[in-house]
Amino acid sequence: MAEKALDNAQKRGADEAEVYTYQGLTTNVVIERGQIAKSSRIIDRGLGVRAIIDKSVGFAYTNILDNQAAIDETVLRALNSARASRPDEDWQGLPIKTDFPSVKGTYDQKIVELNSEDLVKTAKIMLESAEKTDKRVFPIEGGAGSSHLCKAVANTNGIGAYEEGTIVECSLATIAKEGDEVTPVCFEFEIERTLDINPEWVGKEAARLSASALKAKKTKTESTSIIFTQFALQQLLNYTLINAVNAEYVQRDQSAFKDKIGANVASQILTIHDDGLLEGGIRTWRFDDEGVPQQKTTLIKEGVLRNFLYDNYTARRDKRASTGNASRAGYTSTPNIGATNFHITPGGSSPEELVETAEEGIIVYLLGGAHSSDPVSGEFSVVATPAWKIEKGEITHAVKGAMLAGSVFPLLKNISGLAKNERKIGQLVAPWVLAENIKVVGK
Amino acid sequence: MKDILRKTIDVAESFGSEYSEIRAQELHKTILTLKEERVEAVRQGLEKGAALRVLVDGAWGFATVGTLDSGILAEAVTDACKMARAASTTIKTPIKLVETKTIVDKTAKKPRRDPKEIPIEEKIKTTLQTSKTALNYSKSVKGCTADYLDLTGRSYFMNNQNTYIEQDKLYIWTRILVTAKEAEIFTSSREEVGSTAGYEVFDTETPEIVGERAAKRAVDQLKAKTPKGGTFPAVLGPNIVGVFVHEAFGHLAEADLTLSGSVLLNKVGKKIASNVVTFYDDGTIDGAFGSFKYDDEGITSQKTLLVEDGVVVGLMHNRETATRFNAKPTGNARAEDFRVEPIVRMRNTYLKPRDHSFQELLSSIKFGYYLKSFRGGQANLDGTFQVGVQEAYEIVQGEIGSPVRNASISGNTLETLLKVDAVGKDFELWPGRCGKGQTAFICDGGPHTRVKEVLIGGSA
Repeated sequence: MAEKALDNAQKRGADEAEVYTYQGLTTNVVIERGQIAKSSRIIDRGLGVRAIIDKSVGFAYTNILDNQAAIDETVLRALNSARASRPDEDWQGLPIKTDFPSVKGTYDQKIVELNSEDLVKTAKIMLESAEKTDKRVFPIEGGAGSSHLCKAVANTNGIGAYEEGTIVECSLATIAKEGDEVTPVCFEFEIERTLDINPEWVGKEAARLSASALKAKKTKTESTSIIFTQFALQQLLNYTLINAVNAEYVQRDQSAFKDKIGANVASQILTIHDDGLLEGGIRTWRFDDEGVPQQKTTLIKEGVLRNFLYDNYTARRDKRASTGNASRAGYTSTPNIGATNFHITPGGSSPEELVETAEEGIIVYLLGGAHSSDPVSGEFSVVATPAWKIEKGEITHAVKGAMLAGSVFPLLKNISGLAKNERKIGQLVAPWVLAENIKVVGK
Repeated sequence: MKDILRKTIDVAESFGSEYSEIRAQELHKTILTLKEERVEAVRQGLEKGAALRVLVDGAWGFATVGTLDSGILAEAVTDACKMARAASTTIKTPIKLVETKTIVDKTAKKPRRDPKEIPIEEKIKTTLQTSKTALNYSKSVKGCTADYLDLTGRSYFMNNQNTYIEQDKLYIWTRILVTAKEAEIFTSSREEVGSTAGYEVFDTETPEIVGERAAKRAVDQLKAKTPKGGTFPAVLGPNIVGVFVHEAFGHLAEADLTLSGSVLLNKVGKKIASNVVTFYDDGTIDGAFGSFKYDDEGITSQKTLLVEDGVVVGLMHNRETATRFNAKPTGNARAEDFRVEPIVRMRNTYLKPRDHSFQELLSSIKFGYYLKSFRGGQANLDGTFQVGVQEAYEIVQGEIGSPVRNASISGNTLETLLKVDAVGKDFELWPGRCGKGQTAFICDGGPHTRVKEVLIGGSA
């Protein structure tokens, strides 16, 4: 199918062409307001065609795959798009064929075979576990889901790649109520590429968190130590640091890391890799979304900036090789640069020891408004909720309405501790992180 | 089309579903991304598919497929019935839907300038002009990303209660992100345009106006200082009022979230805000980004009064939540496309104007902040909200003072609504996109408004 489309594109005047196909089969069981209320199946498949004529890039997509005519039509629309567009003098071609590495722990037949009944069981275990943990807790939403994903890339430079992967997840959001007090939403989940999730733990932990978020107190305005759990860290870095290491931001003079390769940009204890080959990583694939091998790239080594994330286009502009970071939102989009598994090397201390080290401060589970951080300057002004106070090296009580403000770049230099409790959240793989001297606005 | 839909509904009925619906769609999209003056890609999309929703033994089953082939639809609806039955095994409170009127209607959009009739070259030219205006505004402007989207198509809705609606879809949206840099200071600024009327929206929101508005803000922010953190009086501009009404109040009044335990549960009929606060969610404003005639459960859209003179008088419902509150459905069930199911969403949400001039709002403030334009916002069910601000100024002795950057406001919705002490007589409605697992196009707004005190997040 893809080959036919490529031939067709070239016959009709494309200098280069690429076909990307994607199929996702997802089964979900949904918890709403304390009960299993729904099950759904989503079948989404389609194809996107990139066609290049005289350095002008056109793209068209469709989910109508019933007949060859609809696919031919899509090729034509990609060519029309290219003809309507304008030449890009920096365009230096689609990627060329290279060998792919092997990856581990990204596909599990047992996930493919899960059905609604199995997922109902998972959701039920999670719900019962939450209810058993604390009577004041109300599970507001969550569920269990399994996905079977297939993607393929083919282009006129000889790339022809196909890969399948699986994902299973379960999650529960809870609140706790006592008298007139309602806690903020607390959340736990597990996500894996192989069938190895623990719904009982997720239910219990989600309930424990919201119960302990009761009796929250306001806090004072001061500069203090903050422990970011993985959720909060993911929210913070997703809108700031992950942009700063993106080669497109660097080339367009929108990154604070421009001209900083080799410079100290973070605390000496901080080492970060983008690891597209991480075993069982949520974003581990053999090749990226334009058919370039994924790889492990050192971004920050002991505080020193080493590299940026590249796709084929930005790499060729810098006369170097892509790091395999082209990423798409399915068949409907063209590639953009994205992190794969953004891996912060864990430290040696247990979470309890990290809290002890912090002595006084706040531990933050989630941030409200992290998406309103400045994507270029890295400045943030967010509300920490839920969050807990650390006093004399112990977590003592919940904190409400505490705002954190600053910029992520000085924050990176103020990191003083890393726990060893690594976990996967979205593209982030990280432990708890302790940072000093963060401005907290309380009352 | 009607026959295919009818057949699918019949299959659901034969499985003993209490309720069934099918929503078939054909959608066309044109999407442009420009980075500085470079056209990154011109994208055209064609999508077709159907969403099937059934209620069996008090639980929902949902299936979506990317085809309108009647054989595959029959399989998918069978699947949905089986999944609903599996989900129903542990149901404690069976889901019920409120009774509604049967509607049979066909509606057509009649834009003055139909995006389908406009050549891609013109769309590129308009978007490029926005970008060029921003880049030429000042040497400090370093970058500009301009996105354009138009979505057109038709939706076919049928349920087993004899409702059949054909409805055109038409959305036009652009967003421009400008970055500026001087020495080591970076700033950024965003502007959006959104309409359900037609391409004529660019006659008033011209590329020159939008490009300059975004660029001027980014450049002015270079000279701004960071705010003092703490509690201060504030005047909120219409754009901030809108996002406050939407995020801090609106989400809590989406009845599914209210039922989940938002702080508005048990507050219907009670006073939660000062007397000058009246909120509407209105799906009937001609051409506004959040307007439509029928929602995705086949309910007629309406102007819904949420808060009147400080008292909660209504919530936003779908058919399921209306049953739980013994209320009428309000036409707030929306689905982004056929890949997802309808959920309770806002439309055009705003604060009703009163009688103060902007000067009057400022005059009593010795020191405070004027918050003009937002970058993002979020709320939690407990009423903790945050609104990030991309344009703000100090207020000193009743006058607008120096610009301030990276400010945000936070607090508890209910406490803050009681502190609203004066509402202006002007009015602006701003387009936006709201995420709740799926994206909805919305508007929000209101007049300039004064809040006695609010927590300002700042690092100075």
